[in-house]
Amino acid sequence: MEQSVITSNAFFHVAWGAPISVYFWLVGASAGSFVISAFAWVFGIKRYKPISMIASVQAIVMLLIVPLILIADLGKPWRFIYLLMPANWHGTAPMSWGAVLILSYPVSMFIYTYFCIKNDQKWAKILGIVAIILACSTHWYTGVVMELNPGRHLNHTAMAPILFLTGAFISGIGILILIIWIYNMVVAATKRIDWSLVEEMATYMKYGIGFDAFLLWCEFLQTVYGRESEYAAHHYILGGVFYFPYVWLETIIGLVIPFAILCTPLKKMKIGVVTAAFLVAIGVYGMRIWWVLGGQYMQQFY
Amino acid sequence: MTEQSNDMGSTPNPHRDYGIQTPGTRGVKGTRRYAMVIDLRKCIGCMACVVACKAEFGTPMGVWRSWVKTADKGSYPNTKRIFMPRLCNHCDYPVCVRNCPTQATFKHKDGFVLQRYNRCIGCRTCVIACPYNARHLVPAKRTDMNMPHMVVDKCTFCIHRVKRGQSPACVQACVGGSMVFGDLNNPKSEVAQLVTKEKTTVLKPELGTKPSVFYIGGDWELMDEPHSYKHRTAQLKSEYDAFRKNHPGEQFGDLLESESTMGGVIYNLRTFLPEIPHKFGVILRTIKHLIFG
Repeated sequence: MEQSVITSNAFFHVAWGAPISVYFWLVGASAGSFVISAFAWVFGIKRYKPISMIASVQAIVMLLIVPLILIADLGKPWRFIYLLMPANWHGTAPMSWGAVLILSYPVSMFIYTYFCIKNDQKWAKILGIVAIILACSTHWYTGVVMELNPGRHLNHTAMAPILFLTGAFISGIGILILIIWIYNMVVAATKRIDWSLVEEMATYMKYGIGFDAFLLWCEFLQTVYGRESEYAAHHYILGGVFYFPYVWLETIIGLVIPFAILCTPLKKMKIGVVTAAFLVAIGVYGMRIWWVLGGQYMQQFY
Repeated sequence: MTEQSNDMGSTPNPHRDYGIQTPGTRGVKGTRRYAMVIDLRKCIGCMACVVACKAEFGTPMGVWRSWVKTADKGSYPNTKRIFMPRLCNHCDYPVCVRNCPTQATFKHKDGFVLQRYNRCIGCRTCVIACPYNARHLVPAKRTDMNMPHMVVDKCTFCIHRVKRGQSPACVQACVGGSMVFGDLNNPKSEVAQLVTKEKTTVLKPELGTKPSVFYIGGDWELMDEPHSYKHRTAQLKSEYDAFRKNHPGEQFGDLLESESTMGGVIYNLRTFLPEIPHKFGVILRTIKHLIFG
């Protein structure tokens, strides 16, 4: 007898849509730019001091948008306060961990920035270490919040947090380069950031792109050599509905083209670095789209 | 369902913490484990269970607590239409309970997985966690606005009826006698005997959730997720897109299957952004109401 054909079923929407993918992208870019900010104050690379304040402000602004998106996305927006009430705390729920991290990360970043402005090296370093741990943890959480659902074939991989952190690092640098480029255009020549620092950051971004591509390759192998559901998710979802965000936006626009630019003499040209930075930033958003929506897509037809 | 005693669904133990992942109770002496057996050989696809469920709970349009999945098998003249009623599996190890950040969803001691509307923030983590599509966000507009809205809802195994010694609405409405409900831990119950004697299957057993809905005569093609995605009729695909387009729901940014391009990604954002001011208007009005009355 021939295989059956599904003729009717109930219809469903994705539970987490565009807002969550934007939120993942913003948190990542915030964490990535914060790492650059900490270069001077935590890791002692003094030449990054002029950039650290821009990077800190970028990280704070991006993170201030996040709660607005998350609260707007809730079915009962004013009940976001429930997440912060100890009586409601649920230790096994990844979102409970996230609520604590999203609350504590900006606070630590504010205090860190305050000590940077006061030029207090000791406390800036201490708070910087705390904030870096919280920044990485916050973005780690965005990876695990969907990973810890065994029914989501594309998301249920231990690679998720590393993939997210790498994407965060490169997109954070990408956006920071764009901001510095604009900053240099509007301020007086004496206050401009040394472009050689930007070129150095672009080199870090290049290594990050390489590592991200490696992780993507590992993930590709796992799904292709995986169980039927993993293979099907890769073949029909990433190769089907999410072909544009996965293949074009993330892989080609976000990884291949910027990597090629940064490996050629174009890297020495301002336009080359800025183009690469822009492409990386939107490429990482492509990854957030297929990760969030693609992970839910197949099950909607179950 | 003849085996139920009068005290079923009694008041939950106040000393028990319902917030954590409650231990499985299947086969544990001195406990109840309500379960359902659906004999697909008897199912005629009349959808009476779906209608009974909708009527019992006034479920709004576009969302389902229970539904029937249908497939056509074979080629003319040897064809067959097969059905599979779907509902919450009331898992013994529910992922939704584990992942709910506010403990809004919990497992009752008799095995029901339930939702506390007053605690639910509508974050939909449980919808993401559920491998069976058994949960949905109730739309903002309902016929009776006193009913819960913009919170997650699901099948309750009709605990309000079971408490009174009745069977769930879908079981009562089943004309073919395909659905059987009862206590799996009671060896004399019909469900326990069916599960013991008949060859039963559950959905996605590999996930270890231990579902409490058992199927007799289940067709793997209906139960398999990748197969269900791959083998859909073209009509069903277009109906699905039409549903997404015309019934945007309360979650933002769904991606249409027919618009999986750059335009789709932009459309996906477009559905969300206009809603932000509206949502914050709701928050501001609530604060104003709390302060000024």
